Amino acid sequence: MKSKAIRNVLTTVGLPVLFGVIIFTLWQTKVLHALFGTDEIILPLPTRIGSIISDNFTSMLPQITSTLIVALGGLVLGSILGYFIGVAGAVFKKWGMAGLTIVPASNAIPLVALAPVINNWTRNLSGVVDIRSTVAKIITVTIFCTASMSVNAYRGLTEVKPFSEDLFASYGSSKLRMFFKLRLPNSLPYVFTALRVSVPSCVIGAVVSEYFAEQVIGVGRQIRENIVKGQFPTAWAYIAIACAMGILMYVILLIVESIVLKNRRAR
Amino acid sequence: MLNKIKSSKGIVTAVWVLGLMVIWEICAFIVGATQRTPINVLPHLYQIFGSFFDPKPITGSGDTIATLVFSSAAETLSRALIGFVIGMLLGYALALFMNLSHIVEKIAFPYLMIIQMIPILGMAPIVLSITGDISSARIVIAAILTFYPVSTNTLAGFKSVGRERHELMKSYGANKFQLYIKMLIPSAMSYFFTGLKISAPMAITASILVDTLQGGNGLGCMLSQSLKGSMTRFVFWDIVIFSAVIGVLSFYLMGVIERAISPSKRKAKKLNNGKD
Amino acid sequence: MSEKVNVPEISVKNVSMVFSDSKGNPVQALKDVSIDIQKGEFISLLGPSGCGKSTLLRIVSDLLTPTSGEVTVCGKTPKETRLEQKFGIVFQNPVLLDWRTVRKNIRLPLEMMKVPKEEQASRIEQVLELVGLKEFGNSYPGQLSGGMQQRVGIARALAIQPDILLMDEPFSALDEFTREKLNDDVLHIWRKTNKTVLFVTHNISESVYMSDRICVLSPHPGRLSAIVDVNLPRPRTPEMRGTPEFAALVEKVRNSFEGI
Repeated sequence: MKSKAIRNVLTTVGLPVLFGVIIFTLWQTKVLHALFGTDEIILPLPTRIGSIISDNFTSMLPQITSTLIVALGGLVLGSILGYFIGVAGAVFKKWGMAGLTIVPASNAIPLVALAPVINNWTRNLSGVVDIRSTVAKIITVTIFCTASMSVNAYRGLTEVKPFSEDLFASYGSSKLRMFFKLRLPNSLPYVFTALRVSVPSCVIGAVVSEYFAEQVIGVGRQIRENIVKGQFPTAWAYIAIACAMGILMYVILLIVESIVLKNRRAR
Repeated sequence: MLNKIKSSKGIVTAVWVLGLMVIWEICAFIVGATQRTPINVLPHLYQIFGSFFDPKPITGSGDTIATLVFSSAAETLSRALIGFVIGMLLGYALALFMNLSHIVEKIAFPYLMIIQMIPILGMAPIVLSITGDISSARIVIAAILTFYPVSTNTLAGFKSVGRERHELMKSYGANKFQLYIKMLIPSAMSYFFTGLKISAPMAITASILVDTLQGGNGLGCMLSQSLKGSMTRFVFWDIVIFSAVIGVLSFYLMGVIERAISPSKRKAKKLNNGKD
Repeated sequence: MSEKVNVPEISVKNVSMVFSDSKGNPVQALKDVSIDIQKGEFISLLGPSGCGKSTLLRIVSDLLTPTSGEVTVCGKTPKETRLEQKFGIVFQNPVLLDWRTVRKNIRLPLEMMKVPKEEQASRIEQVLELVGLKEFGNSYPGQLSGGMQQRVGIARALAIQPDILLMDEPFSALDEFTREKLNDDVLHIWRKTNKTVLFVTHNISESVYMSDRICVLSPHPGRLSAIVDVNLPRPRTPEMRGTPEFAALVEKVRNSFEGI
């Protein structure tokens, strides 16, 4: 039995790693280039991308911080806003449910279209480009992160275990008490479900909003600028950084989730 | 009774849409009173709709806004559709292989998770320079974005088939092919469509984004040209509204197709309506 | 007791089953169980949850392979019998395919057995008649009550004309009234078709009402603690449930459990 468990771990970790190593080797030995019909300039070797990142990391740091501020700022604001929309939906149940059926539709609105309009909205906010542009980008990401949180929060607040509302009513507890003792704790796992969607999308939102921003800064903007300038290795380095940011934030989320929901998992 | 709830739900939705329109109009009114160029910030809805049906040509070739939007939409959406179909087929195939083979599942699963975490849209410019052609870039990005939700949802559908259902098929001595055709694939159908509902609007958004990166005839190209001021700003607003509507419609279209191919859903619904 | 001379239809000899739990520790689900079941008998496997009664049913029908011991069905291995499609299984959930009508659900096993089209149709009508669902052939499972869905499950099991009917707690999710009605229906079908029935349940009075013999299984580890003969006359009628003989049998069965 024990050896079976060990073999299981070996294949679960070993096979994907092996696959990754094969792809890496194909890339490094330029087989991948032949396959895609491209060259080393457009698709640089992994070692070259790696050395660009390690050589220029200090100069890349302000770009990364800028994107991180936008992504996290939008994530936090969007999640809070979304949760409050979910609460409003749960309070006014009949109106809320129909309203929240419209919310997923907002995901269908192209973000690209939003970004330039929001730039116009914030134009008079401040004379400083950096401030108004950052605000515009954060608003874009906020809108991006609101929808999934509001739908999930609504579900978490309303989909309580059967009869638990009756149980609370039998204690003669007020609506407010029921909200804090029953609905709020019940919605916690749903909040993490929403974050699993919005953490990756806040990075995407930040990157894309930078394409249209007034201020020329950020990982996403660097991807675009460097491609326009024909500096593909640098562009790839920023793509790698964007991917690493997404993966890192997701992993942090999973760790936090496993700690917070430790005792909720059914055995 | 149920009928009543249903129709009242329709009314509630309608009230919501109307409410949002009223909020838009109030904001537009404030913007109109305070801003120098309200059309750049928030024009009135009637202005936007009016401009769409304005018969006056806005380009040298005699296009009105409506014909311009439709022709660029055909350009962009046809590529989005091709990418969507390719991504759907690949995603479904991967889910099938992952369910058939433990080795494939173990290799692919972590990478499927990673795809979800990386900002694919951020890679649009590089995809564009690898393919070198905007149409192929649209197709590739739409396909990648469709691939992930279809694959994970369909796989979840296969996995959701309970032990007793497998035992039932085993007790009949069913082979692999029969197991898939008669049990697993139909069981996973609603999961598959959940994936499609997520990815259809995403494929459209992605194609429009790719458009904005380079000149051409797509929706996104018109959008950026209008922003740059080379044609009236109403083109921009019309495209925003148009793409939102198309995105929402693509979501509902998936539901319509699902109901069309699964008579049990349709019939159960009809019976419920008749009963109450 | 009158000895039956013919070979048993199902023979279970010294069967043990060991599972490993999620941490890899062994769990003994069945220990050294032996039962002989004659053709046409109605046998109940009775016990609380964890006694291995469903495991035993799955071993007989080759859905599970025992760790040790031997099972023969109609003189063959369970696998051979399964591939000959001699088993009709009714599960705790009706396990109906919600995208197929009642008729098409019953047709499912016949499609896989390559039964000719005309015969499929006649068999389906026949079993629908038997379970009293003639008018519901074109309904979808979602439109039927729980009791009706379970009738469809029974009809589907009968449609393959099995020699052995295996029922795994088929009525445990139904209310008492529906359950008693279906008890009578199953007995009626059994009398008409003369099949061997292996009936898993955790309801003592149900097992007494239905069976020729009751195999009482006790948990931790799952083992056979008694076989109780039910000498109530056939056909059984609802009135029998109130007789002193019935109550005495229920009491006898209840006292034969060990270590619960």
